[in-house]
Parts: sequence; structure tokens; C-alpha cells
Amino acid sequence: MLRMSFRTFLERWQLFAGAVLSVAAGVALVQASFMVLVATGEPRIPEGLSRQEDDRIREGFVGAATVMGMTAFLAMFLAVFIVSSTFAFTVDQRRRDLALLRLTGGSRGQVRVLLLSESVLLGLVGSALGVPIGLGAKHAQTWLLVEIGLLPDWFAAPWRWQAVAVAGVIGVGVALTGVFAASLRAARIRPLEALRETGRAGRVMTTSRWLLGLSSAACTVAMVVWAHGANLIGAMLAALGISMVGAVAMSTLSPLVVPFTAWLLGLLLPGSLVVASLRDGVRRSAATASPLIVLVSLLLGLAGTFGSLAAAGGEEAKRSVNAQLVVTSTGARAERLPGIEGVAVASRQNAVDITITAGERRSVYSGIIAVDAADYARTHALVPTHGDLNALTGDTVFVGPAQHSEWIRAGEVLTAEAEGIPLSLTVVGGLPETLEPGENFVVPRRILPPPVWENAPTESVVQVETEQNPDVVAERIERAGIGEVSTVADWAEARAGRNQAGNMKILTVLMGLAGLYALMAVVNSVVIAGTERRREFAVFRVSGLSRPQVVRTAVAEATSVAVIGLVLGCAVAGAGLAGIGGSVRAAIGVTVVHVPWTLLAVVATGSLAVVAVTSGITALSATRQRPVSLIATKE
Amino acid sequence: MSFPAVELRQVTRFYGARNTGVAALDGVSLACPAGTWTAVMGPSGSGKSTLLHCAAGLEQVTTGRVVLAGRDITAAPDGVLTEMRRRTIGFVFQNFNLIGSLTAEQNVAFPLKLAGIRASRKDVRGVLGSVGLADRATHRPRELSGGQQQRVAIARAMISRPAVLFADEPTGALDSHSAKVVLELLRDMVRGAGQSIVMVTHDPAVAAGADAVVFLADGRIADRLDAPTTHQVADRLARLES
Ligand SMILES: Nc1ncnc2c1ncn2[C@@H]1O[C@H](COP(=O)(O)OP(=O)(O)OP(=O)(O)O)[C@@H](O)[C@H]1O
Ligand SMILES: [Mg+2]
Repeated sequence: MLRMSFRTFLERWQLFAGAVLSVAAGVALVQASFMVLVATGEPRIPEGLSRQEDDRIREGFVGAATVMGMTAFLAMFLAVFIVSSTFAFTVDQRRRDLALLRLTGGSRGQVRVLLLSESVLLGLVGSALGVPIGLGAKHAQTWLLVEIGLLPDWFAAPWRWQAVAVAGVIGVGVALTGVFAASLRAARIRPLEALRETGRAGRVMTTSRWLLGLSSAACTVAMVVWAHGANLIGAMLAALGISMVGAVAMSTLSPLVVPFTAWLLGLLLPGSLVVASLRDGVRRSAATASPLIVLVSLLLGLAGTFGSLAAAGGEEAKRSVNAQLVVTSTGARAERLPGIEGVAVASRQNAVDITITAGERRSVYSGIIAVDAADYARTHALVPTHGDLNALTGDTVFVGPAQHSEWIRAGEVLTAEAEGIPLSLTVVGGLPETLEPGENFVVPRRILPPPVWENAPTESVVQVETEQNPDVVAERIERAGIGEVSTVADWAEARAGRNQAGNMKILTVLMGLAGLYALMAVVNSVVIAGTERRREFAVFRVSGLSRPQVVRTAVAEATSVAVIGLVLGCAVAGAGLAGIGGSVRAAIGVTVVHVPWTLLAVVATGSLAVVAVTSGITALSATRQRPVSLIATKE
Repeated sequence: MSFPAVELRQVTRFYGARNTGVAALDGVSLACPAGTWTAVMGPSGSGKSTLLHCAAGLEQVTTGRVVLAGRDITAAPDGVLTEMRRRTIGFVFQNFNLIGSLTAEQNVAFPLKLAGIRASRKDVRGVLGSVGLADRATHRPRELSGGQQQRVAIARAMISRPAVLFADEPTGALDSHSAKVVLELLRDMVRGAGQSIVMVTHDPAVAAGADAVVFLADGRIADRLDAPTTHQVADRLARLES
């Protein structure tokens, strides 16, 4: 059986080339991510850095570890997806061979073993290729993570021999997982099919396909509903889940959509060969459409999710202040704001450099603001979850949105240190969690020695008197040379953009990766589909079509299938956005959804171009031989 | 042996919906004693292939029972049928191709290998020799002619010495000389080794070599001849088709 697998593998290597490459790429990425992940897990941070610097590096390491984890996960998912669609396809094309095996006395188990050993072979070859590629990938990943600022430039991930073991296990595991469904399908082929010349059609929508498709669809809907009630981290995970499970649902159910599209196209081009081919090659069409569905749903889903979160964060920030202007300056200059004509309240918020330690928890150095509680309360709409801002006088502290999840209780006494002066601050309340991380702690300015806040970067939220024009007041403030003035809307937007910048970088890395991968899968399936149609193309030509006509037909068919894939992928991405929209609504009271139109346009034109070019080249090379030589040889 | 090699009792096989579909077989009862050769004849579409497939357990019957080598296989699970395909029955079909990636001798040894039996090289070469292909053992199917491929298929069916051999127009694509060689091989299996053959054929001369000929028409047994002559067979066939 193993020998037979080996021989099939050698004889049909074109069919497996795409799967081998995707396993290799998956192994390479997982292995590279593994090495970087291990290295970030035990950071060797140089001595003598400032505590803020040290903090920043540690945070970057955590971020890098997250990206690597997601990369590895995504790569494995995509590799399994590609292997499984490749094998589903090859099983269909080898129906007669497999039926023959059954007729000569092969049991169902033996058919399964045949396919599974083919997949082990595939996994081993893929892993062997993946290990050296992984070394390159590690450098590329490290470079990228340094480039986007998550890792310091002295970072290095040393080679570990365990990586080879990881690669082997991942490669074979991915291949086996991908082949499992196909092997079950193959075992169900009846021996009688070996005797029927035309018996290979077989139903496309098998019971298991229905089951998988409908249960994934149900799962997707459930996640959309769940996301509506979830918090934002939950909604983000749900969005990722929706993109993946929804893509599986759409690709398994896509054979249902292909005939409909063929019908639509039939109205435009009655009696055309493209329409007939589409209708006849439902499985082939589904195989080409699936990676596109994954590509579109992942890219648009992720970009839409992050974009929506950024937009929602901005919206929330805007709603959380009850003012018209925001002034950026130093603490000392901001003190002149109340004296400006037309300013009703100016809540000065100094970002002070002090340390606060809550019990056994890690000390906090950043995100601490010093305020005047009365002004702060008048200009901010965020209602404390407990306590009262009026109590924020004397040696007290308010827990900020970023520390909300730390469960620091009212009455707890935190130790603090400002310019060498030790302080004991009693917690008198806390603010609710917000979409954006927000501040860690809010302290009364009066308790701090002036040098601490005078030079601190300061944001002042300014409420303008009712009869005054905010623009005029803004001009006065600028003329007084206090600092930079912006409207609340502009400030909120800029702040959201700043906070999301890190996420966007991570997202770009992930999307680039997913895009590359899915594109590989698209090319793979187009090439397999085209190569396996040699005979059919030859029949077309013998029936009187010229070579350019055959190529045009193939390109038109592949492009229509690509459009189907794009539309279905958009449907999945739309479901993901619906989930995020609901969750945002639950969090801030309005639905904010960001649709990445530019990305959609780029992905659509890019993938259509790739499909058209690949199918054209494949059809050209598949029609290079004289048609007679193909028709005369019998399988 | 006391039981027939193949027995069909009131077998019906419908295709499509019960009341609108075609009855490819309609109340067929037939018994082929062990060690005999039965030929099945009839016009195209009369149900010959369907009869063979049902008798071999490749196709489920709609009603009735099928007994193969003393075992009721009407509702047998796949495992039992697989086991029978390995040891009890063999197939030779017109388009029952060989496995393209295996050489002739590997193809011949393949069923035994699936059954977990190691076929000795000598045995395999011996069987190939008896079909006149000793010098083609290491050729791939695509390097063999149609008749040679068919002889490899027969060698494959011979090596496991099946109790019953099912053949559907095994000589259909062969020239008269090759056909004669193939038929001689089959005859030797019945006479020499006591195996049974159920064979579909269109050729009266081939059918005349059988112990009995069964004529099918519209899924029913229309006639039966024992120890027939070519002339008798051609005569009955002409009457059926008219
Ligand atoms: N899978 C199937 N689905 C529907 N009808 C079928 C199927 N297989 C066979 N039939 C029908 O059953 C009838 C008998 O078919 P069968 O193949 O047994 O004929 P045959 O006697 O072998 O003909 P031939 O000499 O042409 O091979 C035919 O009318 C055929 O159309
Ligand atoms: Mg027939």
C-alpha cells in the first residue's frame, strides 16, 4: 500500500505540488513563529534601561508573541484547508482507480490507508522542504517585527533543534487532518464504479458535505449572535472565528451557488460553452472558489473588525467628553487656560511620571494623570462604576479604565512614589472599561509637588461658554501661545488612530500572510483544474474550436468562478462585521462599522487578475499538444 | 459440492422510483451449479450486466435473494463482500482496467496482496505464462495491447482460484484469435479446477461452448438451453430480437 502511495505520488506530482508547497509554507511559518515565540518568552532585556523603556520592550514582546501565535494558527488553518480541498479534488479525479482497488478486493480500510499514507508522504516531503524555508521565514519575520516596532533591533531568535520535531509533527498532522475527510469519501466509492465508463460523476453535495456546510453555517450565525452580547475582546475573537468557520461553510455550500450563477450567466450568454462547463464542473468550480472565499473573508473580515474597533474607539472618546476643544501643552502653560475669555471650564490632565503599586501587582509607571476632580467631573461624561469623583481630594486615587479589570477595590491603599517622595493613596472609586485602553490611574494634582506636573505633557479638555463661538475661543487660546488646539472630534479621531496603529501593523502582517497563502491556494486549484482538463480541451478542439477559443472559454469560466468566490467571501466578511457592529452597539450605544472599501477593491481586482492569468497560462499549456494524441490514448 | 455456486431467487432490480422507474431485472430465478459454465445472452438493455452485478454482490437487489458459494449475500455488509471479492469471486470485464501505476505482474499479485497473502514470484510468472505473457511481466498496462491487457486481467482473476468467475463480454474488444485464447483459458478453469463461470456474451459461438445458456429479455428469463450448439443459440437469439 505504501509503495502504491509512493508511486501515485510520483506519477501525479503536479496534482500534489500545490499541497506540498502549502504544507511546506505552513511548516515554515509555524516553525519560524515557534522559534520567535520561544525567544520572546524568555526575553534577555539589557540592564540599565529606564523603567518606561523596559516596560515598552516587554509590551512589544507580548505583542510579538501574539502576532506569532496568530500567524502559526492561521498558517495551520490555511494549510489544512488547502490540503483538504486538494485531496477532495484528487479523490474525485481518481474515482475509477479507487473503485478498481475495491473491485479487486480492497477493503474500505485499505482505501483509507492508501490515502492516509499518501498524506503522510505529503506531510514528510512538505516538512523537509519547510525546515530550510522556515529558517528564511524566521529572519523575515524577525525583520518585520523589528520594522513595525514590536521588537528591538538587537532581538535574535536562536535556532532550536526542537523546531525540526515541531515541523515534522505539524507537517504530518496538517496533511493527515486535511486528508481525513477525503479518505472517508474515498472509502465510500462503490466497486461498481470501476465498470461504468461514465460513472464518475458522483453527487457533489454529499450528506457529509451538507452536514459540514450547514453546521458551520449554524456555528457562524451563532457566533454573530453571540458577538452582539460579547465584550470587545470576545467580539474580536468571534470576528476571527466567523471569518474562518464562515469561509468553511461558504466553500462547502458553494456548489449550490454555482448552478445559480451558471443560470444567471446563461441569461446573458445563451448557449455558451462557458455556461455548460460551469454547470458540469460544479466540483471544480467549488475547488477554485473556496480559497478565494477564505482570502476575501479573512482579509475583509480582519480589516473590517480592526477598522470598526478603531472607529468605535474614536466615537466613544468623543462621547466621553462633554466639551468642545482639546488643548495640548505643558502643565504650566495649561494653568493659564481658565483665564482666557470664553473658557467656561478647562480640565487639565497632566500625564505625570510617577509610580503606583497596588499590593502585589506590578508597578505602573505610565497612563497616570493628575487632575482637578471638580473640573474633570464637569467635562467628562464617563460615569464611575463605583465611588464619586468629588471624593478625589487629598491622598486618594481613582482607578482608570485600563486598570478596570484588575479589581482594585475602593478603600485599598496603594503605594506611590513621585520624585522620590513616597505617598499612600486610598482608592475612592473607579472608571468603567472603555474600547481604548485609556488611563491607568487618576490622582488629584494638589498632592503632587509642582515640578512633577509642571513639565508633564498635558491635555486640557475645554468647555466653552454657551454664548461663545468655539472657533473664536480656540483662536484666542492659540494666540495666547498656550498650546495646540483641536476640536474634540479631531482629537478623538487622532487618538483612536494612534491607539490602533499597533493593531494595524499586526493586522497588516497577518493579512499579508493570509493573502499570500490563499493566493497560493487559488493558483494551485486553477492549475489542477486546468491540467486535468487536457482531454476535455482536446475534445473541444476536435469539435471545431480554435485554440484561442478554448483558452478564452477556460479564462471566462475561471473568472466567473472567481466572482462567485469573491461574492461569497464578502458575505462571510459581512457576517463578521454584523457581529462586531452589534458588539460595538452593546458597548457604546451606537453602531459603528468600518467597511474597508479600498482593500475590497484591491483584493477583488488582484484576485480576478491572478485567476484570469493563471487559467489562461494553464489552458495554453494544456492545449499545446495536438488534440488527437490526447484523445487516442485511453486511460 | 452440494450447493450451487450462484443462485438467484425471484430477484428484482429497479432503477429510479419504484413505480415509474425501469425494472432492469424482473423476477429472475437462476441456479448455476458448481463447476459449470453459464452464458447469459439477450438484446442490448435486457439486463445482462445488471444480473451479473447483482449476482456478484456489486449491486443491491430490490427484492429477492442472492446466494453466492453457499452464502446469502442479499444484505451482506461491506466487509463480507470485500472478503468474498478477495477469495471467492473474480471478475473479467470488457472495461475492467488494470491499475495503471502497477506492472503486469504487480497487477496480477495485487488481489492476493490486499488479502495479506504473499504471492511467490514463480506463481505469478506461472499464471502470466499460462496466458502467454511471460515476457511481458514487467510492462505497464499502457505498454500492452488491449488483448494483452485483458489476458493480464484474466491472470489476475485466475491466481486466487475463485469459486466463481464473473465475466462481462470479456472478448468483446478482441480479434478472433485472441478471443479464442481467452476462451480456452476460461474453459480450462472450469474443466480443470472445478471453478464456475457466469459470462455475458453476444457471440453465439462463444455461448455454444458453455454448459447452459440463459436468454434475457426485458429483465426476465425468456429461455434456457442446456449443452447448446452454435446453431441453436443463434436461432433462439434471432427469435428473441425479432
Ligand atoms: N445505474 C442505472 N440507472 C438507471 N438505469 C440503469 C442503470 N444501469 C442500468 N440501467 C437500465 O437497466 C436496463 C438494463 O441494463 P443492463 O446494463 O443490465 O443491460 P445489458 O443487458 O447489459 O445491455 P448491453 O448488452 O447493452 O450491455 C437498461 O434499460 C438500463 O438503461
Ligand atoms: Mg451490459
